[in-house]
Amino acid sequence: MSENIHHDDHGHDDHHVNYTKIYLTLLVLFVISVLGPELGIRWVTLITAFGIAIVKARLVVNNFMHLAWEKRIVKWVLATSLILMFLMVAGVAPDVMNHEGNNWENVAAKAEVERGLAYMAGYGGEEEEEGEAEVVVAAGFNAEVSFGQICATCHGAGGAGDGVAGAALDPPPASFTDPAFWETRDRERIKTVIRDGAAAVGGSALMAPWGALYTEEQLDQVTDYVMSFNPGNE
Amino acid sequence: MAHARPIATTRSATGIPTPRLAVWWILASEVVIFGGLLGAYLMHRLGHPEWAEAASHTQTWIGALNTFVLLTSSFTAVLAHQAAEKGNGKQAAKFLGFTIIGALLFLVIKSYEWTTEILAGYTITANNFWSFYYTAAGLHALHVIAGAIIMGFVAVDAFRGRELHRVEIIGIYWHFVDVVWIFLFPLLYIAK
Ligand code: HEC
Repeated sequence: MSENIHHDDHGHDDHHVNYTKIYLTLLVLFVISVLGPELGIRWVTLITAFGIAIVKARLVVNNFMHLAWEKRIVKWVLATSLILMFLMVAGVAPDVMNHEGNNWENVAAKAEVERGLAYMAGYGGEEEEEGEAEVVVAAGFNAEVSFGQICATCHGAGGAGDGVAGAALDPPPASFTDPAFWETRDRERIKTVIRDGAAAVGGSALMAPWGALYTEEQLDQVTDYVMSFNPGNE
Repeated sequence: MAHARPIATTRSATGIPTPRLAVWWILASEVVIFGGLLGAYLMHRLGHPEWAEAASHTQTWIGALNTFVLLTSSFTAVLAHQAAEKGNGKQAAKFLGFTIIGALLFLVIKSYEWTTEILAGYTITANNFWSFYYTAAGLHALHVIAGAIIMGFVAVDAFRGRELHRVEIIGIYWHFVDVVWIFLFPLLYIAK
């Protein structure tokens, strides 16, 4: 009220903020936000890390930036920005956070998740975590799904060499459903190519080595899956 | 020839001094810049469980130390504003000086942090987590650098008792840089 009566253009110092008190409050909140998550309890982490961040930001914005005493138009300008920002995030969130929908599948993102988890299982972290991740990956492993997520981009879901990226490659990936292909291939070669890449057998580097992705057992399963495309196998 | 003040700085339809209105407009656009970046990070983080492994390598205590440094520099910035309102330019310059020291300390700590990480192989191209990490913290660090430089000019003027209103303007900007870090800290360091 009073600020509307004498809106002076210079300071608006007729409000009294105890800056030292605000600063000390911020420090206490800061200490809580560091120590809280150390407990390792999920909801405590969320509240202490992100809940307190919002409280801290409010304290700074209202008392240090004096937004609380600022003219209303400034609040509207900032609110508009915030709303537009949230709209943008909410608008793309379903596409970014999901890796598949009714009529689409984000093959690259799925492959990245799989690669990352396999990496964690193979090389990552502390003892217990490692064990846990390995179990998860092993229990969830399915050669057909893995082929669909990683190899199908180039080789096609049916192994015919007609994946979306396959046509653009030079040389294109061969068709696993062509009997002629299998005349010159055996299981050992297929496994070698998957593990070490086609370059290891004199082929193209476009067929990368995927060995780091799989355990020995999983590699066997994927090899068997590729072998199953051979029409002569039936 | 005397320079007349540009009309834009002498009139104010909103009742807010033009420089202060201008800095709020800048911050409104910064909200979208940082908000968009952090929103994108958050969405990817939630959609990619494997990022947890990469995130576990950030150094919480260094991030915490820098949070403390920035909070303190915000405090000295607001004390500078208080001094300027009382017309005490010398004291305002002194507190701005402390804030600049805070900015430099922040950058030194950040350089140390990034050096250890890069030497350990966590570079901006290591994976998407590290790409976001360096982009977000790097954009923020650029704001710290810009703020410190501008504050240097404002402090020199303030020391001579000139353009004291600018102390508040650069302060508002500086607090915003602090607020961004308040959110970056839990996002990049705490959520493991
Ligand atoms: C980036 C595209 C791409 C991806 C992804 C890919 N491949 Fe290939 N692959 C190729 C190309 C190109 C060739 C042909 C190489 C050549 O002829 O030298 C090939 C060849 C092969 C061959 C035949 C090698 C031979 O004996 O000539 C096998 C088997 C194979 N890939 C399996 C896989 C498996 C299993 C995966 C998934 C783990 C996979 N590929 C992922 C591009 C890809």
